[in-house]
Amino acid sequence: MTIENYLSTDGVEMILVIDGDKAESMTKAEYDRRQAEQSTPIVTNEAKTK
Amino acid sequence: MATSPNYSWPEPDNTDLVKNGALAIRTMGNAIDTTMATMTPKSTYTAKGSIAAATGASTPANLSVGNNGETLVADSSTSTGLRYQVPVNANPVLNSAFQVWQRGTSIAVTSGTFPYTADRWNFYPNGANNAHTVSRQATNDTTNLPFIQYAGRFQRNAGQTGTGGVFLCNSFETINSLPYVGKTVTFSFYARAGANFSSASNALAYKVYTGTGTDQLSNTGYTGATAFISATATLTTTWQRFTGTATSSSSGTEISIEFSHTPSGTAGANDYYEITGVQLEVGSVATPFKTYAGTIQGELAACQRYYYRWTTGGTSTAWAGTGMNYSSTNALVMIKLPVSMRVNPTSIDVTSTASNYRVLGPSGTGAVTCSSVPTLDTSHNESPLLSFATAGSLVAGQGNAAGANSTNSAYIGFNAEL
Repeated sequence: MTIENYLSTDGVEMILVIDGDKAESMTKAEYDRRQAEQSTPIVTNEAKTK
Repeated sequence: MATSPNYSWPEPDNTDLVKNGALAIRTMGNAIDTTMATMTPKSTYTAKGSIAAATGASTPANLSVGNNGETLVADSSTSTGLRYQVPVNANPVLNSAFQVWQRGTSIAVTSGTFPYTADRWNFYPNGANNAHTVSRQATNDTTNLPFIQYAGRFQRNAGQTGTGGVFLCNSFETINSLPYVGKTVTFSFYARAGANFSSASNALAYKVYTGTGTDQLSNTGYTGATAFISATATLTTTWQRFTGTATSSSSGTEISIEFSHTPSGTAGANDYYEITGVQLEVGSVATPFKTYAGTIQGELAACQRYYYRWTTGGTSTAWAGTGMNYSSTNALVMIKLPVSMRVNPTSIDVTSTASNYRVLGPSGTGAVTCSSVPTLDTSHNESPLLSFATAGSLVAGQGNAAGANSTNSAYIGFNAEL
């Protein structure tokens, strides 16, 4: 996986994630939100603890 | 002997003797009594709106009127076989018959990830060595299904040994959930198992949650999750319909449906289950299945509020949009989305091959192949702006078009999912 930073034409910090045969771009804020989601154990209800 | 004109009760003739009057009256009275015993007594109607139903042959019973606006439906579980319930049984489950697969009709899912697969269906195989394939399948059954063409198949890949829980959910936005909170609702779906489905006893758990958050995805966390419907379906290789009824929490602000199971051992060639015809409705009876929109274009548009994927549609040189060259290496292109998305897309997804994309160059130069993949520049729920980068050859300020570079592999997905 490679991660590249870039700026939008309005100067917003953006992230490009290239993973295998797919690539996804988003704001850095969205990228940070997803990172937090991935690192937080998904145990908000009993089903996810299986 | 004369008889009455309607019920043929015996009456004395005009010439009969008066001395036989008592017998004639008694005979006619008995005939009237016999007739009246076959009639529904007036006392059956107990109140305004009462109608006479039957609890069995020749057994009339009162059926009290329902609430304002309710209609009568057949329900074999009640004593009269009838029930009043609200007439509008809309189904809020988007892509409930697995008709829409914008991301492709066969999707590889890596262990421990939670991607969307068929539109609106998020799939999460927990743990390691638990890779799955999610695919569209024909139901091939018009006997046990009400003519539903497609199903979703959720298959642990052959040889996988992971036994982490596997979760499939379809979470509703709050705006679509509120009509179902604090009410008795019925959940129903059709399912069957593959020959090697490895869940113990062929069990597929199904739950309907309320949450107290807003617009959340239950596979990645659900505030205040309460499973008000929770049961287990025992699958066979033949399609069956399963139903569950319960009253949802009145404090819920969002609803999500979930299927889960725990695989075991090493996956065989057919370690899968299939589902389709998923329905949630107000009332205590599962009514015949219907999709959310009723038409394929309506269902597609409803799904495109959450995700839209531009594809070539078989035209390998198709253009996705037009715009203006910002510099010699950067073409800005606006894509007009077919449906207003529910929020500004949070990301776009494309292939990782830059050369799948191109920009229409200056007159005489033809198309310019992209040097990196298209990226999101400015998000908008109707007209997001994308950047197509090239190594050069563009003329700043000129108009452009951008799209696929002679390949049907090119696509651009706009993600506004929960």
